[in-house]
Amino acid sequence: MIRSVPPLPAATAERIADTMFALSTPSRLQILVCLRPEARTVSEIVAAVGMEQSAVSHQLRVLRDHSVVSMRRVGRTRRYALSNDHVGALIDDALEHIRALERSRARERSEAQAG
Amino acid sequence: MNAPAFAPAADRRNALDRAHIGDIEGALGTVRAFDTGPRVTSRRKLATLLAVLGPGVVVMVADHDAGTISVFAQAGQNHGMRLLWVLLVLCPALYVTQEMVARLGAVTGSGHARLTLERFGKLWCAFSLGDLMILNLATLVTEFIGVALALSYFGVPRYVSAPAAAILLVAMTATGSFRRWERAMCVMIAANLTLIPLAVTSHPRAASVAAGFVPAVGNGAAGSTVLLLVALVGTTIAPWQLFFQQSNVVDKRITPRWLRYERADTAIGAVMFAACAGAVLILSATVAAAAGPHRPFTDAGAVAHAIGAHLGVGAGGVFAIALLNASLLGAGAVSLSGSYAIAEVFGVKHSLHRRVGDARAFHASFAAIVALAAGVVLVPGLPLGALTTLVQALAGILLPSTLVLLLILCNDEQLLGPLTNGRALNAVGAVVVGSVLALSTLLTLTTVLPRMPFAIALAVTLALLLAAGVVLGASNVRHRRPPRAGASLTPWQRQTWTAPMLELVAPATPTRPRLLALALLRAYVALIAGLLLLKLAGVLPG
Repeated sequence: MIRSVPPLPAATAERIADTMFALSTPSRLQILVCLRPEARTVSEIVAAVGMEQSAVSHQLRVLRDHSVVSMRRVGRTRRYALSNDHVGALIDDALEHIRALERSRARERSEAQAG
Repeated sequence: MNAPAFAPAADRRNALDRAHIGDIEGALGTVRAFDTGPRVTSRRKLATLLAVLGPGVVVMVADHDAGTISVFAQAGQNHGMRLLWVLLVLCPALYVTQEMVARLGAVTGSGHARLTLERFGKLWCAFSLGDLMILNLATLVTEFIGVALALSYFGVPRYVSAPAAAILLVAMTATGSFRRWERAMCVMIAANLTLIPLAVTSHPRAASVAAGFVPAVGNGAAGSTVLLLVALVGTTIAPWQLFFQQSNVVDKRITPRWLRYERADTAIGAVMFAACAGAVLILSATVAAAAGPHRPFTDAGAVAHAIGAHLGVGAGGVFAIALLNASLLGAGAVSLSGSYAIAEVFGVKHSLHRRVGDARAFHASFAAIVALAAGVVLVPGLPLGALTTLVQALAGILLPSTLVLLLILCNDEQLLGPLTNGRALNAVGAVVVGSVLALSTLLTLTTVLPRMPFAIALAVTLALLLAAGVVLGASNVRHRRPPRAGASLTPWQRQTWTAPMLELVAPATPTRPRLLALALLRAYVALIAGLLLLKLAGVLPG
């Protein structure tokens, strides 16, 4: 018997796609990975990622506009953090997904060489 | 291996907003994102054209706005049909400049403001964006004046018409559906085109219309005619159009696959513009000739009354409605160009596909600038005529820098690959930009130094332009281009070539022609800005 899956409401699908769009450029992923352990300031992100300050600021705005990253003012400094643990989980799972793919590909290759 | 060769396809396309990726949802048809196969039958070709039709036609007919109607009506009233030939020059010039931005939009998936920031840095971006916003506000005020003039023909006071128009504009843009917005635009375009039958029914003399297409200068002093020419060019080729069409092409999700159709769209639009502007000029000239002794031009509202007096109240009403439509269409497109540009630069969501709550900054900036302009029109005792002239002059001065940057962008091989401007297109573009530059410089010289004889001003302008042209031309001829990026591509790959993600593109190569053009542009902007500041400070004699 085929299990029926209720379709995603169109608006929800749109919102998920928007969220995934925020994760869809290499530089934004670098920033997100850098924010994974803890909240950071722009200059800390710049130092960690090795991109220009203006580029980091721009990408942070995109990430905030998509509610993936949140900003908090502490005194005069602004600290950026992942909006919640789910964003962190998304990044972790994406990383795991890539690693799993690479592992299985490596296994196939070694089997082909052995056989 | 015989796997299908994927070009950097639509799926890997650079996008600043996810809403810019997907199906083309035009007012007159749909093209699915995956439906990129060949269009063989003419029926399919037509269906595709209808779906793509939009950005070019909207920008061109919106270009025929309150300011344009006013200037072309003035040309008709003061010079009869004698300046009709200008349209024969303006129509191809419009096409050339707008095709370049449409191509940039389709290939890079990025609006003009964002591209300026990425390729020329913060300073040029701030300069262009600042210019754009000041000019847009001023242009919007003229649009609302157009609305007020048009509705006052029907006895509606401006305290009612301006707020009503502002509300209508915001409601039209904030629907959250690109298709609905484009349909509203189509209705207005159709209303605008009623000017053409109106001009025919005014029974202009065929011989004088034909004579108007022979290049000649109108009545009166050469200086005042040149000012009018500058105004004609300045209202026709304006910075907001370049920003608008590029962003709108991106928002409509037009990819390089559909570039051929987008070019057709732009060409159709350019012809529509020329037809509308020609109709206004002919109407105004015919009515002025019938009115007998020459009266100076006041405003477009007076033209409506003159048409009403000579062709019947109904005809005057048709003209007033066309003026209303042109103003609304212009206002919608002008303010949208600003909202697109701001949102692009700041990296927030910007798409007509999005509802208000989904792209707050985009829709809020639209509403804010519209409300501001509508408010300015309600200020009592506003010198309307002077303001219109100021806008045209300002645009004529600021336009050249936008055009020069555009030409440099279109020579950026890292962005455009096989779709980079060829030498022939560059030559045509240089002529267009050079002419606009000459007219603008001439205007500035004659306004800032009114005692300078016209012939000397002309000579100075031509000498400056010639020097710049020789320097740039020489460096271009000596500059060897690397073999074109598309040399090894198949025709299909060339046709669907898409720029890589902006963040992955290497910074522009500082070739000598590029550096030289930027340096000359900086000198030009400094010169003009300096002259204007001196004039404002009262140092120069007026």
